[in-house]
Amino acid sequence: MNDPEFRILSFVNHIPPTAGIEEHIERAFSWGVDAVVAQGTGSDWGPFWLGSGRQVESDVARNVLPYVRAAHRHGVPFVFSFGIAGGNVHLDKCLADFQRVCAADGLDLEVAVVRSELRPEDLAERVRTGPPVLPAADDPSLAPQLQPDDALAATRLVALIGPEPVQEALRAGADGVITGRALDIGLFMAPAMNAGIPIAVAAHAAKLLECGGLALEPGDSAHCMWARIDRNSVEIRSPNPSARPTVASLVSHGFYERSHPYTEDNPGGTLDLSDVTYTELEDDGIRGIGARWIPAPYTVLVEGARHVGFRSISVLGVRDPALLAQARAWSDAAERQTRARYAQEFASDRAELTTRIFGLDGVLGDLERETAVTGHEAAVIVDVVADSQELADQIGYYAFIRLFIGPYPGRKTTAGNAAAPYMPVIIPVGEVFRFGVYHLLPLDDPCGLFPFVLQRFGTTTTREDKVLSHAAR
Amino acid sequence: MLLDETARVIRSKNAGPFMLTIDIFFDSDDGYARAKNSHLLKPSGVADAYGLPVEAIKGVWWDDRVRAAKVSMQRWSSSADPFCGDMFGAHLHVPLSRSKL
Repeated sequence: MNDPEFRILSFVNHIPPTAGIEEHIERAFSWGVDAVVAQGTGSDWGPFWLGSGRQVESDVARNVLPYVRAAHRHGVPFVFSFGIAGGNVHLDKCLADFQRVCAADGLDLEVAVVRSELRPEDLAERVRTGPPVLPAADDPSLAPQLQPDDALAATRLVALIGPEPVQEALRAGADGVITGRALDIGLFMAPAMNAGIPIAVAAHAAKLLECGGLALEPGDSAHCMWARIDRNSVEIRSPNPSARPTVASLVSHGFYERSHPYTEDNPGGTLDLSDVTYTELEDDGIRGIGARWIPAPYTVLVEGARHVGFRSISVLGVRDPALLAQARAWSDAAERQTRARYAQEFASDRAELTTRIFGLDGVLGDLERETAVTGHEAAVIVDVVADSQELADQIGYYAFIRLFIGPYPGRKTTAGNAAAPYMPVIIPVGEVFRFGVYHLLPLDDPCGLFPFVLQRFGTTTTREDKVLSHAAR
Repeated sequence: MLLDETARVIRSKNAGPFMLTIDIFFDSDDGYARAKNSHLLKPSGVADAYGLPVEAIKGVWWDDRVRAAKVSMQRWSSSADPFCGDMFGAHLHVPLSRSKL
């Protein structure tokens, strides 16, 4: 056995655990645990949450409670990122819930909180005075080099903080660390690197651990996973006896949600898993060895949501075979008539309109190769994005009316063409956002922008507003 | 034979908001070999299946250890498109899975 050694229990904190999780947690602690780590932020759900400040429905505080109890009882720290989009508004909602849950459970905790939201004017200033800020993805919607105005146009900005600010926060020796938006693997790397584990092995372990039990066979993020990390290798085990790691499950998890199977660019370097080998151990364990870390200039990914308008939708059901046979032509006609009616608004880019036909092209859109509905019914969704909710509603209503009463060849349904399942018939969906900033910000100091603040949670902080006012400072 | 009939798992997902990645796992050495030698699972074959320019296909990789292929491409409609039909990119495998090997 190589020295040092570090053991992590991982899960995903925005996914509710299944029944019996306490038993799995206890099994992991019987093997030894030095930190409990779980990610809860991501851009998978798109820019809406970041822009709107709303929270994806998920009872994060309740999800983490059994893990927090166990970590506290055993005297080891927890590290969590909270809030999906991970801005201050999302983090504060989760912290308020966390306070409530801790107080109700009789816990009294000190937590180092690390915020990762950036103010648009601060990013604009860095863009003005610092090195070029380049896009993290090859997409024509992203500025080829970020300009101050791109930063200022963002409704809300967050940085995916690396392991370093978490390492700093852990050194405060509190009961745990909670961050906003953060690089998933950084949360796992931080405590391991503080224990002396080299960055390549820490990052490899983190890559396997970041989605909890998803890397097991069968994979399920509602379950937890355990790792023992030493100077050279990572050993994975499943605290849940009905799942286990396999060579195939770990190799294929290495692929998951990343564009390249073996390499991944991270702040300060690239993790390279191309020479990793896995071997089976006794009692359903697997050991991985051979990760490399190729250092690179330090950058953090900054995500910014930019408001693009307001959406309204309308849903119509079609069952009549004569109309199904010409559903696309009928929808296209309604679109044309709507564009003609609101010609000025469309010409001045105040509005955009599409119709999706579920049953024909709802999933693939223009890429769909089928040209006619082949099933016995279909749904048309009118989708409008305009510069005000009122205009989106009006245009949506006009398109609905044309679909509902517009003549089509061979029509017999002269009292109404389709079924309207929802009232209001035009559903105001609200604001629409896109990622206006998805760029790499060079940093000399990975920690300077992301200091930690120590906060108490639980029984000694009995009033929730105290936590919120503390958080707002 | 369709890719769908040969592969055990075909999973489609975002790799960041602007990239789509499709992981394909095979049960048999035969199926894996057939896929690996196919035109479909070359960048130009993937581009044809989706009707995308070949530059949009970022790569096709193979892992013999677990009989898996990975195909990554730039998203043709991402969160930058207000009418993006699949935010998670979880159901964009069909043009590939329903193509002939």
